[in-house]
Amino acid sequence: MTTALPVPDSASDVRARNFVTTAGDPDGPVLLFAHGFGCDQDMWRYLVPSFTDEHRVVLFDHVGAGRSDLTQYDPARYATLAGYADDLLELCTSMGLRDVTLVAHSISAMMAVSAAVQRPDLFSRLVLVAPSPCYVDDPADGYVGGFSRADIDELLASLDHNYFSWAAAMAPVVMGTPDSPELGEELTGSFCRTDPDIARDFARVTFLSDSRQLLPRLRTPALILQCTDDALAPLEVGEYLHARLAGSTLVRLAATGHCPHVSAPVETARAVQAFLSPAA
Amino acid sequence: MSSPAAGPDLDADLEGLFQHAPCGYLVLGPDSRVVQVNETFLSWTGRAREDVLGTALPRLLPVGDRVLWSTHWAAQLAISGTIDEVALEVVGADGRRHPALLTASRVPAAGSRPETVRVILFSAVGRRAYEEDLLAARRRAEQSDDRRAKAEAGLQRLVLHDPLTGLLNRTGLTAEVTARLAAPDTARRLPDSRLALLFVDLDQFKTVNDSLGHTAGDELLALVARRLQALIRGTAVLARFAGDEFVVVDDVTRLQDATGLAQRLLGALREPVVVQGLEVAVSASIGIAVEGEGQGEGAATAAAGDDPVAPQAHGPAFTAGELLRHADMAMYRAKARGRGCWEVHDPDVPDPAADRLRLLDELRVGIASDQLRVHYQPRVDLRTGGLDGVEALVRWEHPTRGLLAPAAFIEAAEQSGLIRELGARVLDQAVRDAATWDALAPSGQRPLNMAVNLSTRQLADPHLVRRVATALDRHALAPDRLTLELTETALMRDPDGAHATLTALKQLGVELSIDDFGTGYSSLTYLQRFPIDELKVDRSFVGGLHERADSRTIVASCVHLAHGLGLRAVGEGVETGDQHGALRELGCDLAQGYLYSRPVPFAELLQWRPVDALAA
Repeated sequence: MTTALPVPDSASDVRARNFVTTAGDPDGPVLLFAHGFGCDQDMWRYLVPSFTDEHRVVLFDHVGAGRSDLTQYDPARYATLAGYADDLLELCTSMGLRDVTLVAHSISAMMAVSAAVQRPDLFSRLVLVAPSPCYVDDPADGYVGGFSRADIDELLASLDHNYFSWAAAMAPVVMGTPDSPELGEELTGSFCRTDPDIARDFARVTFLSDSRQLLPRLRTPALILQCTDDALAPLEVGEYLHARLAGSTLVRLAATGHCPHVSAPVETARAVQAFLSPAA
Repeated sequence: MSSPAAGPDLDADLEGLFQHAPCGYLVLGPDSRVVQVNETFLSWTGRAREDVLGTALPRLLPVGDRVLWSTHWAAQLAISGTIDEVALEVVGADGRRHPALLTASRVPAAGSRPETVRVILFSAVGRRAYEEDLLAARRRAEQSDDRRAKAEAGLQRLVLHDPLTGLLNRTGLTAEVTARLAAPDTARRLPDSRLALLFVDLDQFKTVNDSLGHTAGDELLALVARRLQALIRGTAVLARFAGDEFVVVDDVTRLQDATGLAQRLLGALREPVVVQGLEVAVSASIGIAVEGEGQGEGAATAAAGDDPVAPQAHGPAFTAGELLRHADMAMYRAKARGRGCWEVHDPDVPDPAADRLRLLDELRVGIASDQLRVHYQPRVDLRTGGLDGVEALVRWEHPTRGLLAPAAFIEAAEQSGLIRELGARVLDQAVRDAATWDALAPSGQRPLNMAVNLSTRQLADPHLVRRVATALDRHALAPDRLTLELTETALMRDPDGAHATLTALKQLGVELSIDDFGTGYSSLTYLQRFPIDELKVDRSFVGGLHERADSRTIVASCVHLAHGLGLRAVGEGVETGDQHGALRELGCDLAQGYLYSRPVPFAELLQWRPVDALAA
């Protein structure tokens, strides 16, 4: 049992802890975006403009990522996805969010499932972007997650080797190339800045978690967005999820990689809008 | 088309720079697929051009780097346009890994030209090696931090806990009580509650220890600890205060809560326990003190009593020490009332019996833990003014009350029988110091005669003669250097027994002295009957030498009597030069008193010099 941190009891506590930002129509239906491993809320910047006209958009950083309050990082609380799911619930309850559509990327997809299983009353829909309930293969029942345990150890080693660049809060001195875009230059130094030690913990929590037993308990309608050639989620994973999330919708995107909201924001936005529209 | 002068050469130079630059160049098209690659990259990785072209960059990376590329670097590149010095490895054709630093920038689509990404890869073998060292050092530092933290936690545990029972020890208990007293009322485990301390002392633990051994004693304590622990609530804390003393700390709303708990604890302890196969009946006495009761009693305690070195500070606030002391006092009241019961601390009821029990317990501990000190008062040869010998006088260095004179504890020790062990220790120390004197004293100094007091109980001790002989043998002291002082009262208690003992002592060769002569029976028959060597004229007569004519007559008679019987005469309590002079005139042999020196530790005795004013 952990006694460490007091539960934030006010919206301002949670806002500071998770660096909550909001955009769009304050009276619109709530669209809450949860970033995944290795990122922060900046990851949503290409997707968000498609929703600000009609929605109240709420963005945040997981504790340890971006501009969250690092002093609130409690290794015991965040040793499992449940701690992060609790943060999601605290965020919703402290801010009085209702009928939330939670758009969750990567590992956050399973935090979203966990949160919605605990408090189905808070969430109306889930959008799971490039999700996986378990990254490590399970030879016992033939589950294909795409990784072996040794792969995960190697990932942790890779993280270590980038320790200093992850830790760097240094001002970027980017060697300018004449034809490269100005776009997002302000982000280069701070982009998805993560405390390297926390990143290591988060990687372990992310890639060693197994949320498969949660899936049958979800009652909230879910959209599964699966990318082509996602290094983190083979096609089998999308099918697995679709089969076990009752009433879920599986959409395969043409977008490649693991971050369709970055590489193909338009396609991603359309898929989400289609899911949210009453006709769907 | 191009300039005939520079064109072809420049193109050739640029092509050469691209192909053979000292770093790998890649251009990525859609989906991060390689659309151009230079020779340096191909020779470095051992890969064929057609193998690399069309392959997505992440596929050239080992799994860990691939994941980070997908989750982080690709996104950063897409959003910010550049990534800088990413540490990764490139997998070669033979599966070998090549450490590299990757820097890339994105070139947006322009016209029909699709978006591309320019990548350079520096071989970073050396940097990789440094990184490995740094990381290893970092992990080691983390581990040693971890170990140190664990060691510190272990140490902290050791400091605050008793290793035998795992309970809080005295230090831990004091900290716990202090913290609970300081906690605001709102933090109390029970609303409107007060802190109660139950001081639990096992009644016959010493017997178990003595008869079954320390291992059995330890086993019993562990059993008792478990039994007590099982009875207290979750809000309560059990501590082992010392030896066979336990303390329960709990919040109570009514005094009955505490006395009820005491009753239950006593009941549980009454059930016999099996220690090393033997059934042992245990009983305990419990003293209860409750926060907020009995305050302000401290001043009275401090003023009372005869011991000069017992500062007992009592602030207005209630301290952990105070509460513990109250519970302890109540426990002694319970013991004095008859064992196996509880008492609540009541500052208004003085209880000499309880005080005496506590004193004896403390003295027992004091004797065992070497708190006794032997001081020496010089006995001066009245003919020469020089040092003839000393009288050994016991002091007790009490842990809280300071240095105590015999008056504070000898009577209780005598009544309880503790005097035998106490006396044996003093005798042994005195004999040892007399022997040490010979080695340390200035050259030309006479051997030191050592006088040691024997109490009534000691005289009745059947082992006395053996104890004296052993002490003399152990320290190789000539028997005639030791004088044993007895009171008339001690002799008359059992004259026949005393006679036998004194005769045996005399046979050892030690000298015998009658202390405080003139204050007891002063029966002249025993002077004839017992093998006495010395009479000590009581200080009350010496003190009156110049105030009362009859005192002078008595002292003169005593000296005369002593000499008539062939005994040495010693004057006690000499405080003035006139008394000294009078004793000298009367022919007294030896004298002692503050005039010459107060009783001093052995080390100070070595510095003793005759009083100059008396030399003439």
